[in-house]
Amino acid sequence: MTTEVRGTSPRRGLVETVRTPQTIRTAVVSAGLVVLIAVLAGLHLTQGTSTSGPLDVVKAIFGQGDAQTLAVLEGSRVPRLLAALLLGIALGVAGAGLQSVARNPLASPDTLAVNAGAHFAVVAISAFGLSLPLVPVGGAAFAGGLAAAVVVLGLAGGGSASPRLVLVGSAVLLALQSVTILLLLLFEQETNGLFAWGSGSLTVADLRATGQMTPIVVLAVVALIAMGRRLDVLALGDDNATVLGLRVRRTRVTAVVLTVALTAAAVTVAGPVGFVGLSAPVITRLLLPIAKHRALLPVSGLVGVVTVLGADVVLRAIMGSAAAVRVPTGVVTTIVGAVVMVWLARRGRGSGSRRPAPAGRVGVAGSARRLVTISVVLVALLAVVPVVGLMLGDRMVLLGDLANWVDGNTGTALTFVLDQRLPRVLAALLAGAALAVSGCGIQSVSRNPLAEPGLLGITAGAGLGAITLITIVPAVGAWSIAGAAGVGATVVFALVYGLAWRSGLDSDRLVIIGIAVWSAGMALITLLIVVSDPWNSAKALTWLSGSTYGRTLEQVAPVALALIVLTPLSWIKHRELDLHALDEDTPRVLGLRVERSRLVVLAASGILAATAVSAIGVVVFVGLVAPHLARSLVGGRHGRVIPVAAALGALLVSVADTLGRTVIAPAQIPAGLVIAMVGTPYFVLVLWRTRP
Amino acid sequence: MRLPTPAVLVAATALLLSACGTTENTAAAPSESAAASGPVTVTDSRGKAVTLKAPAKRVVALEWGEAEMVASLGVMPVGAADVAGYHVWDKAVPLTAEVKDVGKRNEPSVDAIVGLNPDVVIMAEERDSTLVPQIEKYVPVVVTKSSDASRNFDRLREDFKLIAKTVGKEADAEKQLSEMDAELAEGKKAVEAKGAAGTPFLMADGYLEGSTVSIRPFGKGSLVSDTAEAVGLKNAWTGKVDPQWGLGQTDVEGLTALTDPKTVLFYSASEEDVFTTGLAQNAVYQRLPFVVSKKIHKLETGTWTFGGPKSIIMTADQIVKAITA
Repeated sequence: MTTEVRGTSPRRGLVETVRTPQTIRTAVVSAGLVVLIAVLAGLHLTQGTSTSGPLDVVKAIFGQGDAQTLAVLEGSRVPRLLAALLLGIALGVAGAGLQSVARNPLASPDTLAVNAGAHFAVVAISAFGLSLPLVPVGGAAFAGGLAAAVVVLGLAGGGSASPRLVLVGSAVLLALQSVTILLLLLFEQETNGLFAWGSGSLTVADLRATGQMTPIVVLAVVALIAMGRRLDVLALGDDNATVLGLRVRRTRVTAVVLTVALTAAAVTVAGPVGFVGLSAPVITRLLLPIAKHRALLPVSGLVGVVTVLGADVVLRAIMGSAAAVRVPTGVVTTIVGAVVMVWLARRGRGSGSRRPAPAGRVGVAGSARRLVTISVVLVALLAVVPVVGLMLGDRMVLLGDLANWVDGNTGTALTFVLDQRLPRVLAALLAGAALAVSGCGIQSVSRNPLAEPGLLGITAGAGLGAITLITIVPAVGAWSIAGAAGVGATVVFALVYGLAWRSGLDSDRLVIIGIAVWSAGMALITLLIVVSDPWNSAKALTWLSGSTYGRTLEQVAPVALALIVLTPLSWIKHRELDLHALDEDTPRVLGLRVERSRLVVLAASGILAATAVSAIGVVVFVGLVAPHLARSLVGGRHGRVIPVAAALGALLVSVADTLGRTVIAPAQIPAGLVIAMVGTPYFVLVLWRTRP
Repeated sequence: MRLPTPAVLVAATALLLSACGTTENTAAAPSESAAASGPVTVTDSRGKAVTLKAPAKRVVALEWGEAEMVASLGVMPVGAADVAGYHVWDKAVPLTAEVKDVGKRNEPSVDAIVGLNPDVVIMAEERDSTLVPQIEKYVPVVVTKSSDASRNFDRLREDFKLIAKTVGKEADAEKQLSEMDAELAEGKKAVEAKGAAGTPFLMADGYLEGSTVSIRPFGKGSLVSDTAEAVGLKNAWTGKVDPQWGLGQTDVEGLTALTDPKTVLFYSASEEDVFTTGLAQNAVYQRLPFVVSKKIHKLETGTWTFGGPKSIIMTADQIVKAITA
């Protein structure tokens, strides 16, 4: 690789001497990667569901293959290999580009929701039955990805190196995923294939998509590399870059457009293959710590290829090619990427105690009159919303019916409708309250207004625990499921907490590691369902999107118990929570045993979230939105925030559940999807208000 | 946040007033089938004895195969899950326009089911479902086995007779089953007469997403495979299949396990035909024995591969016609 320095720099000689070792290193690393790719590609070609073994493939490569092996190579293995190569390059380079533009090592097509935007666009096109040729599909993917990138980068405040970008990206990602799943539900063709594809699959049967996307990828990669100098300058910071004569805005916009094009091409070929764009540039920077973009971008592409190919090779080696057909390659890359993300977060410098308290509202107490008004309204709503929840649904019921039902005077049909609606309404109310209280605790001790049990991986852990048990013992009772969810939540949270702990708990690190573990957890849930119960997409959707469908009172009991015990406990500790929320030092100075107290709060929050998951599946955002809304209503003191947040959480999930049961009846939308769609705009609003 | 209190109050009051009253005319006689025949007791696939006051007239069926069986016995179900999908995927026995949709097959609306005031709900066995005990509190539920890859034809007979007894049409069911047997026997004779007995076949369906093709072979023990074997063919797919449906999963390369040049492909594609759109140009596909010999038969749209006796006859007819043509 030549890194010639053009131009008439007076310091040319100096630059050359400094660069030479780096040039050699780049060349060595690149050569090593190319060799590794060649080896992996060779292995990749020998793997497959047909009987054409390594020997046949070797013969075929040296021009002596039998016709069958040649056909297998042409019709299956080479397309798969080429798709993997294209994906690796596109996502690796896109990730490196985005990280430079955002000046944030955690930026990637995944964490900036570009993948999700492109995927949503592709699914929307097929859902609405528009059978377009591939290029317009790619165009739609591009538009979707670009829109997501613009929203995320805009909200995150441009090129700040804060983890905020990842938070915004994850939120937008969640919303887009929810709408995507909703489309799949509404236009339920046969969702099996789509379900797996939604995690990124390489089982391509022809070269059409790869072929059509290759020119786009080549052009975008070349253009980005050509921009390398400008990206180098951009890395110095907006002001410096402007002083040096760079048109910052134009450079940034061009780079974003190019990276989005790369991502969209990858999604068009194989669906969203997760976290390649995140891990590849990070690994590249490890190999070449001071690489300039002209080296960084192409080497990231090579590392991307290694990641995708490696994931595919390992997956098929472990599971056997026939069984591996079911498992999306993206599941593996997501888990790999999550590990990289955790490592990255642990390595990064902590933000210390510079972060202001949640929304800067601690100590701001609303007037007593306001508090009374809000309490009255909330209590009234808490009375009305469940009643409305009982009334609405596929069959509308009137108040007189409810009165009759309470008196036991309804006919059998109506009695039944209400009997089975009651557990659903209760499950929604209680799970919402539990998630909200859980969110209060987590936000306080992590001093991060954007933390919540979902984004910390707790709900994914609970879901994983529950679904593992269901897979092993199909007909298992509600308490056992709640127990397994609790174990899963505890294990995962201990993991997140332990990983985030490095001589102190940095709140940003906690959240980033949480998001990584959350992604890995969701990937594992997908893996578990695809492998154990491939024809049961209903089960998958319940656990991945949160639903009250078919709940019984018995299933609601664990969350009720957790709420009854833990809410008062959390409330008693409200002063401790206030202290935690202030900063790292004040509570210590005041004699609070910070770590112990923190652990108690987090344990209680974890249990609440786990029981909520066992009642309604994985629901995110409630634990974030409810406490935040509560603070904006009654100020930051936890003595007030906890009960108000609990009420708001209950209301939020109950309303979402009622809507989901009513809007497209007799079909239903899982409550978790409604929440994500309602929660995201609110979350985005919060971010917009708190942008730097 | 400042609420426009008066407006909210007015709205709430209005809502409250409009929501009063009741929806049910009390003492609606639940089932007026003061039937000629007395009560029936059936033992369903769970081994549970379900007693109905009389053979069911108002039936809700939550899976397409069961809906087809009910309708084929001359009892139009009052409700079925995903009726629109049924019209696309199962044309063996059409449902009339009066059949109400009770939601998606994976999460049917319990409200809609009881809203139809059925005498019985017929649904397929499924693991980890809380639906059966819930519905059972209100209305008798008869659970069919729906599929069993170790004995699918016997299972079909049992399910069909179970449903027939539930709706009081046992004689009709016997007649249909013997028709089905006769049809299969006749088909087998025709196949043998053509010297085609033992012809290896692959039965499959598939999905295409982007350029990702997944193929789902119906292995030995699946209902359509049993059908094809009953007319004298031999299932060529030996890959791993699940114990309930007999379904496998593979990619195009996996099909190269089929090497016998006599192999015939039957595939089902009621919505999207991946075998022509996704695979036709594929090098592996082009070398598959049935592609080389052009022995590829697409089942008519609406040939449901998990149906009842009528679907079996529809499938068998097409197979025999294709083999003896």
